[in-house]
Amino acid sequence: MKAIKDVVSISSLYKIYQTGDFQIEVLKDINLKVGKGEFVVISGPSGSGKTTLLNIIGSIDKPTSGKIVVFGNDLLAKDEDFLADFRCREVGFVFQSYNLVSTLTVAENIAFPMEWIRKPENQIEKGVAELLEIVGLQHRANHFPSQLSGGEQQRVAFARALANDPPLFLADEPTGNLDTKTSQKIVQIFQKLKVDGRTVIVSTHDPQISQLADQKVYLEDGRLVSLNE
Amino acid sequence: MSETAFPINDLLHRKLQTGITLISLTLCVASTLFLLLFSEKIGFGILSTVEGKLTYGFSVVFSQFMVFLGVLILVTGAIIISFIIFVMMSQRILDIGLIKGVGCPNDLIFGYFMTELLIIASIGCCSGVFLGIITDLASTSLLTGFQVSQEPPNFWLALLVFCLFFVLALIFGAKPILDSTRIEPAKAISPTHYFGLGQEGEFRVMSKSGLTLKLALRSLFRRKSATIRIIICLSAVFIFVTVAVAGGIIADKTTKSWVENAIGRDVFLIAHKNMCDHYQLLLSKFYGANEDSHFDYTNEQYLVCEDMLNQLNMEPGITNVDTRLVLEAHVEEVQNYTINPETGATIPVGDGRKGESLIVGVDSDKAISKWFFQGKSLEKNQAWNAMIGDSLAQKMFDLPLVQSIRIFDNDFSIVGVCLDPIANGNVTYVPLQTLQNVTGLSKPNIVMIKIDPAVNRKETLDHMREKIETVNPEFMIYELNEALDKDLYFLSYIWSTIMFLPLFSLTSASLCLIGYVMLAVAEQRQEFGVLRSVGAKPKTLLNIVSVQNLVVLLSSYAIGISFGIIITLLILVQKPLVTSYMILEIAGWLLVSLAATFIMSLYPAVQFSKKKISEIMT
Repeated sequence: MKAIKDVVSISSLYKIYQTGDFQIEVLKDINLKVGKGEFVVISGPSGSGKTTLLNIIGSIDKPTSGKIVVFGNDLLAKDEDFLADFRCREVGFVFQSYNLVSTLTVAENIAFPMEWIRKPENQIEKGVAELLEIVGLQHRANHFPSQLSGGEQQRVAFARALANDPPLFLADEPTGNLDTKTSQKIVQIFQKLKVDGRTVIVSTHDPQISQLADQKVYLEDGRLVSLNE
Repeated sequence: MSETAFPINDLLHRKLQTGITLISLTLCVASTLFLLLFSEKIGFGILSTVEGKLTYGFSVVFSQFMVFLGVLILVTGAIIISFIIFVMMSQRILDIGLIKGVGCPNDLIFGYFMTELLIIASIGCCSGVFLGIITDLASTSLLTGFQVSQEPPNFWLALLVFCLFFVLALIFGAKPILDSTRIEPAKAISPTHYFGLGQEGEFRVMSKSGLTLKLALRSLFRRKSATIRIIICLSAVFIFVTVAVAGGIIADKTTKSWVENAIGRDVFLIAHKNMCDHYQLLLSKFYGANEDSHFDYTNEQYLVCEDMLNQLNMEPGITNVDTRLVLEAHVEEVQNYTINPETGATIPVGDGRKGESLIVGVDSDKAISKWFFQGKSLEKNQAWNAMIGDSLAQKMFDLPLVQSIRIFDNDFSIVGVCLDPIANGNVTYVPLQTLQNVTGLSKPNIVMIKIDPAVNRKETLDHMREKIETVNPEFMIYELNEALDKDLYFLSYIWSTIMFLPLFSLTSASLCLIGYVMLAVAEQRQEFGVLRSVGAKPKTLLNIVSVQNLVVLLSSYAIGISFGIIITLLILVQKPLVTSYMILEIAGWLLVSLAATFIMSLYPAVQFSKKKISEIMT
């Protein structure tokens, strides 16, 4: 698939954690370009920096040096309020550990990103119903996260990530905590995202998800290696 | 790691929590000790009401106040300590679970955390005693002009307070530690247990503003145990603050009005120079000054001649001319009988006690003073009635209003007991004419006047001075405002010192609230991270915590103020003087205390909202 325009552009990116006198280089000289509608799979061993890289692309974390431009926005030059808005409108993020708000119901968890961009109430209700249908959890709308299984919670997390119809979708090991059967449902959602032409970056070891990739990259000891070449 | 190294390192690594616990404990101990030491020094403390300063009636108001504040400060201190230790331990339950999970025996864990508790309790109580003594020394050194005891602090009280709070801290701290060490590791590492979380209810999707409120309230009610504890803790603090602030202001203004009405504002004393000096001395006995016991009131030179009285009466700018005869005499309690209201039996009253009292002959129609009294005041046609000061009533009489006082071998029926700072309440007012008759002194020895506010005060005074000098150059005009202001300043100083106490408690309460907010933020940490990662701005998190703090504060505030006002008005101050300005003043101070507590409570949330999302979610 040919990219029309770079959605994500990373160049010479480093992330270093300072712990006392020790420095840990998590990401080293990362260079990556992701085009619009591309499906990128990041793989690599545990501790290789996959989550950190996704967090930086999603503006949850900041690099120590280098440049990251997403949708033409130099993320390092933006303030926290801009980034909050950016995360809400442009990025859908699915975490490995679901990260639902335990005090909100399934429907409310899906609705609150829409409420932040001030969507009218009727649109929110319609949007929530549609997303619940996509992830197959209409019957769970008024349940709290603690009443759901892991797979159901992950599907709610997908629905929440899609709430504002973000052009960039990030997922960090979305099937890492799920059994094969439950993972299958998640794979189906990814297939739909690909069909819809959405830009997706996912860190995973799941071969079914990897099969969907337009670009595969491998992280090892903080360095990125392209598997396409 | 050795058994002692772990608790010390643990406390050092948790600087903020350790600091908050230590400061809270220090302030609780310091405020209690200061109250005890200071009240003992000014002489109307919780331990005993002694003579020397202030009249008996004033002492009663102060000592009642001190007793209430003492009880409240102890209760508040105990609740604060209980809460702060609860918070400290709630934050450790997870660690205890993890330590147990890797196989550490219960007794070793108990030892670790009891050592921490002992360190905290020892340092907190020691520094509290130190701060309490320093505050007491600073306060009393500022009162040197009022002859307040400058003796070193009573170290037995310091020891008593140290032991009391040390034991309280150990009792309140040992239980949660013991409970924590007994729970299963799986439970200990469950948020449901260490945050005391409950079951959620069902709610509809709501608007954006509703979302903040909903997130705030649901989290708040999820931490039922901690929320109820902090509300109880803050309610106790606000009761204390209300009693101290509202009660302090009302009592301050009320007692000041008693003094001001008894002496009179803008009143001028005209008397012989020596008499003027002595009269000032009599008024300053209120705050502990010693009078000249050999003063000869009956000296002929001190009597005000007819000519001078005529001149004063003819002066157009003078509205009142209050002539008085001031003497000192031997007085005796006259025994009487009264009827026991329960049995109907007649019982004797009085022991025939004897003493010395200032005797003031006053013309009740022209008296400038408006005393606060029990019973009734002197009346024109009641020649053998007397009104006595509260200290004399307390010292010499059982039931003064049914008894008589013997002066110059004549019995006067006591019709009233008044509050008057002169001679520190050791005074007897009788009709001027009667006193002149029984003493054979036909003239008064002091005159009090009030100038018409409409006339030029300076001109009138200058004119009067001229006339008085012409009649008798030994006589002078003395403005009593100076003596009055000294008495009022003494009252103000004591009340403002008492009002200083709520600051200690408020700071402790704010620290408790900060501890609670730290617990709340820790409990919501993951959720806040999620909210931030899906687009919530830092101020959204601040709003959520602010709503939670406001709910907790306002609930406690409502309870605290309601009980505080009831205690103040119904129990502490008799016939309180409450003006609309005072209500505004009280409301202002209470709102300031609420706002200050609220702002301080936001500190952990502000710090938290500055964190990076990756830090929050780690």
